[in-house]
Amino acid sequence: MSGMNSGRRALLGGLAVAPFVGSARAQSAAPYIVGTLFPMSGPNAEYGSVFTAGAALAIQHINADGILRRPVRIQAEDTQALPQQAVVAMNKLVSVDHAHYVLSAFTAVSKAVAPVGDRARTVMVNGGAVGPDLSGLSPYFWNVIPLAHLETQALLPFMIQRGLKRVALVYVDDPLGDAILGILRTSLPAAGGSLVGNFSVPRTAQQFAPVAARIRQTRPDAVYIASFGAQQSQIIKQLRDNGVSQPLVSYSAMNIDSVRNTPEAEGLIFTTQSTDFEGGDAVTRRFATDFKAQHNADPGTYQVNYYNAVRLFGLLAQSLERENAEVNGENLRRVLLAQREFDLVGGKGRFDDLGNMSAALQITEIRGGRLVKIG
Amino acid sequence: MLFLQLLLQGLQVGALYALTAAGFALIFGATRIFHFAHGSAFTLAGYTFLFTSQAGWPWYLGGLASVGVATLFGIGIYWFVYRPIQRHEGSFFTVFVAAFGVGIVVQNLVGMFAGRGFASVDTPLSRATEVLPDVYLAQVFWVAIGLSLVLFLLLTLFLTRHHAGVALRALHQNPDLLRAYGLSSTKLSLLAFAVGSALVAPAAMLTAMTSGLNEAIGHHVMLISMAATIVGGVGSLRGAALAGLMLGVAEAVALSFVDTQWAEAVSFLVLFAFIIFRPSGIFGIAQAR
Repeated sequence: MSGMNSGRRALLGGLAVAPFVGSARAQSAAPYIVGTLFPMSGPNAEYGSVFTAGAALAIQHINADGILRRPVRIQAEDTQALPQQAVVAMNKLVSVDHAHYVLSAFTAVSKAVAPVGDRARTVMVNGGAVGPDLSGLSPYFWNVIPLAHLETQALLPFMIQRGLKRVALVYVDDPLGDAILGILRTSLPAAGGSLVGNFSVPRTAQQFAPVAARIRQTRPDAVYIASFGAQQSQIIKQLRDNGVSQPLVSYSAMNIDSVRNTPEAEGLIFTTQSTDFEGGDAVTRRFATDFKAQHNADPGTYQVNYYNAVRLFGLLAQSLERENAEVNGENLRRVLLAQREFDLVGGKGRFDDLGNMSAALQITEIRGGRLVKIG
Repeated sequence: MLFLQLLLQGLQVGALYALTAAGFALIFGATRIFHFAHGSAFTLAGYTFLFTSQAGWPWYLGGLASVGVATLFGIGIYWFVYRPIQRHEGSFFTVFVAAFGVGIVVQNLVGMFAGRGFASVDTPLSRATEVLPDVYLAQVFWVAIGLSLVLFLLLTLFLTRHHAGVALRALHQNPDLLRAYGLSSTKLSLLAFAVGSALVAPAAMLTAMTSGLNEAIGHHVMLISMAATIVGGVGSLRGAALAGLMLGVAEAVALSFVDTQWAEAVSFLVLFAFIIFRPSGIFGIAQAR
């Protein structure tokens, strides 16, 4: 009888602690390191907070679900969106922190760190930069965001249809700005429009009233702005304040609070990814619900992208753990190319041979501080 | 017409550069402290005006609060940072590093409390209207020019007619003699920091209305202030003010001749030209070695 009692106690005790075994095992092991190369200070710091919020929620979900044998943690490095700082940070992540996976952003930063990650065979995932040459940068550099050429492909027919054929471009003197200039130079005439002026501005420029005067002289139908961070709101405000009344158009970098809250940004048209948070699948709904609960605001495109980037790591690492294979860059890439399709926020995420994820795009306009889908 | 448009815009920006540069030059001239955190006074003043404006305060109360915050910051940094360092060691480089550190701390604190993004004061004063064919001018242009002129007139009167102003100039020229006459260099340094920091507040308020603010704006302000101080002649207040105006005008008018990306570079070409051909600046005194 006593033997039976002790066996029952052992069984009950075992059942009682069973739910914690997985998490205890996960907590006791050294964590997987997800490095982030985001601007956490300087004029682009707003993006750093936005990107980190998406990545942090994904890590929270992965750890809570216990899908991996080891916990996942973020190792944040501040790049200030500058390539030089980013290379130093990337070297630290791969050599000192031994990061398993790195999240990158900004075209110039991504291009600068890609060779470091390539040599170390560390996977780098971009969810914020859109320079078209980020595609195929390295076998270990993947994109979970549609790049600029795809955004302009979606936007240009819409602009031509609205009669916005003569376009002036204000672009930041940076690989992103140069890439958009190159795209507009070839794609606009092909779509039936023309680039009537292009105005390069340094990353540190603050005064755009003289640029507005030069733009007015070109008599454009629309002005395309290719910049990022605090500078893009400055450009919008100063163009509007200084007599540029034509429609302003841009790309997904405008999808941040500071732009939406700038009164002069009313009517701004730009491309963003299309995500159905309410009618989507369980992964999408969970993300949207938890994000809103934590931040008291609806999630944006960048939060989706960096959530997806980290969730992708969770799914790939889970597959590798099941194979009892090491979680490293080579194996992560092997599993990515073998599976290709993953359940991510926004639906199925499909990757091509270069590690680029396809995503649906939409054209939005800022009306009363909110984004309204117009195409 | 493009030249006239650019000239007017350059004068507006130059007037603001002149105010910030004059504040820096006043502090540096009187105390010989390379006050790198001068840009932080600008940032704090700008954000104070922004918050008071968002809180619905009348503009003049917001302006007073902005001046008050900049002044207190100037006094505070001298009293709690520079003075203790000078008392113990006094190295120019140590003070510079401390000022640089304060600038970074302020930038991050502003980012934490005010958000890390663009912010501006929405006002019809910054909306330009067409005054001549293809020449646009906003009311803020007249405010910037008028305010700068009034403030420089008051500052000149203070430095030439008031005992404290004359003493400030004396502090720059011969601090030992000043102490021999029983005047306190500490009190005069405090005055220099108070007046110099207060001068950035109007420029910060007008910047908040026109080009907007972000947490890192102080660096740009500092860069312009340093360039203007060197071009104007180290220690010369009117030189710094004139150089600030010149840099603003050069930056804008340059777009008549060069591509937009070279606008800022033109300012620094002016700086290099002065360093090479007239190292003592516009009103500086050449020193024989």
